[in-house]
Amino acid sequence: MSKYTENEENKENRKNKEKTLTRRKLITRAGALGGILLTGCDTDFYVPPKVRPGLMGIADTLTMASQRLLLSGQQLVQEHDISEITKNFPVWNQSNPEDEEYQRLRRGNYVDWQLPVTGLVNQPRSFSLEELKRFPQQTQITSHICEQGWSAIAQWIGAQLLHVLEAAGGVKPEARYVMIDAYGGWYEGYDFFDVVHPQTILAYGMNGKDLPLGNGAPVRLRVERHCGYKQLKFIKSIQVVSSVEGFGRGTGGLNSDFGFHWYAGA
Amino acid sequence: MKHQSRIQKSKEWVYRHSLNARICHWITVVSFVYLLLSGIMIFLQFPELYWGKVGFQGYPAVFRLSDWGLSWEEADALGNRRWGRSYHYLFAWIFISNGVIYLGWNLWQKKFYKKMLPSRDELRLSHLKADLGNHVRFRAAKGNAARHYNVLQKISYLMVLFLLFPFMLVSGLAQMPAFTAISPELIDLFGGRQTARTLHVVATVILVLFVLVHVIEVFVAGAVNQIRAMITGNYAIQAEDEK
Repeated sequence: MSKYTENEENKENRKNKEKTLTRRKLITRAGALGGILLTGCDTDFYVPPKVRPGLMGIADTLTMASQRLLLSGQQLVQEHDISEITKNFPVWNQSNPEDEEYQRLRRGNYVDWQLPVTGLVNQPRSFSLEELKRFPQQTQITSHICEQGWSAIAQWIGAQLLHVLEAAGGVKPEARYVMIDAYGGWYEGYDFFDVVHPQTILAYGMNGKDLPLGNGAPVRLRVERHCGYKQLKFIKSIQVVSSVEGFGRGTGGLNSDFGFHWYAGA
Repeated sequence: MKHQSRIQKSKEWVYRHSLNARICHWITVVSFVYLLLSGIMIFLQFPELYWGKVGFQGYPAVFRLSDWGLSWEEADALGNRRWGRSYHYLFAWIFISNGVIYLGWNLWQKKFYKKMLPSRDELRLSHLKADLGNHVRFRAAKGNAARHYNVLQKISYLMVLFLLFPFMLVSGLAQMPAFTAISPELIDLFGGRQTARTLHVVATVILVLFVLVHVIEVFVAGAVNQIRAMITGNYAIQAEDEK
């Protein structure tokens, strides 16, 4: 039927085994990255990189801190049955970036696509699509929740972002955020609370097939505990940084540059 | 005729609303207005409602604003999510903090028990019928009866405080991706996040109707006296006409 179905069994196993990540396991996972230690007193996880002034900033922080506190077990999001997958999954916002470079890659069926992982990693390097597919495959059937109000269900297949960073030698102790650039000019920042989550994946497959163009081919991010605008499509490069200064308006992402919350869990 | 009635009536002042109730009432008013407006601004940019786990443009909807004369594009132009989402969460926090203080204080002071719990007598069908009759005929309570909330008032206040407000909160949380990761039971409780969204809107409409009736009743009972009581605490009671 499809090229990715052989992993359905693995998925079942994983689902039964890993209902939630224990704290210990989480620290082990983070330890595998290198310097990052996820401890309860790391205030970074409770406050967005740039707090808005006034009452609005207090509300943002209350929202993020309360949810992060309740998520400290790194619970997995609910998965759906394969029969619940939405036909005609909507294509929203950017559907085909006009960048010349992107169009060249697309015509070449993304064979030349390379994902550079740079910044505060111990061994900066690039990954081809084939290399990404060689990582342990993570498959999840989840709800895509747009902040506008719509939602749809799809199966996503990809490599855990954590594994990819590990393969780049792990991160340096001062690493705080992972900035991801996309074709078409979008960029978004993520903290390590989300990076270590097992359902945070660089997805190259959708519903058993290669990721379609409109959904962000060849690779998009799935960061399941956030609204749709954090699920960056058409990924171009990854940079690990200690601060979001110097990216756009310095709020940590294009959406927050536009006035949306950086933290999109609510 | 005018001075005739003036002379006959005697006024008595009663302390009706505690400082806590007054402050919380007006914070609720301001946050409700902001929550409603920001909610409308969010809704206008996706003016359809669905039932179940999924819903998007093109999916069978249970409500479409375009069926009511406002096209998708027109609604979208009127809405503003950036403003709406920011203010919706800001005032949700204010509303919830205020609500927790209000509920906590009044539970501790047994005010709900003393002032809002209908007595067995009041719950009798004949009493309910009589009270409903007064409401329908816009006849406000006078004299001793004006010292207390009437039974329909008690029931509606309790429903709003303990049913509708908590329902708004829970159906709001059920739409948040982080919160449903914390508590997936929320989605199952509603049978899907689109159902939660739809019921969030339905409960909003019920709340708006409540506010409308509430404001009409304020005018029926005497707007100046009612609003003054909610500011100073003191409520003037007119003695019953004795003939």
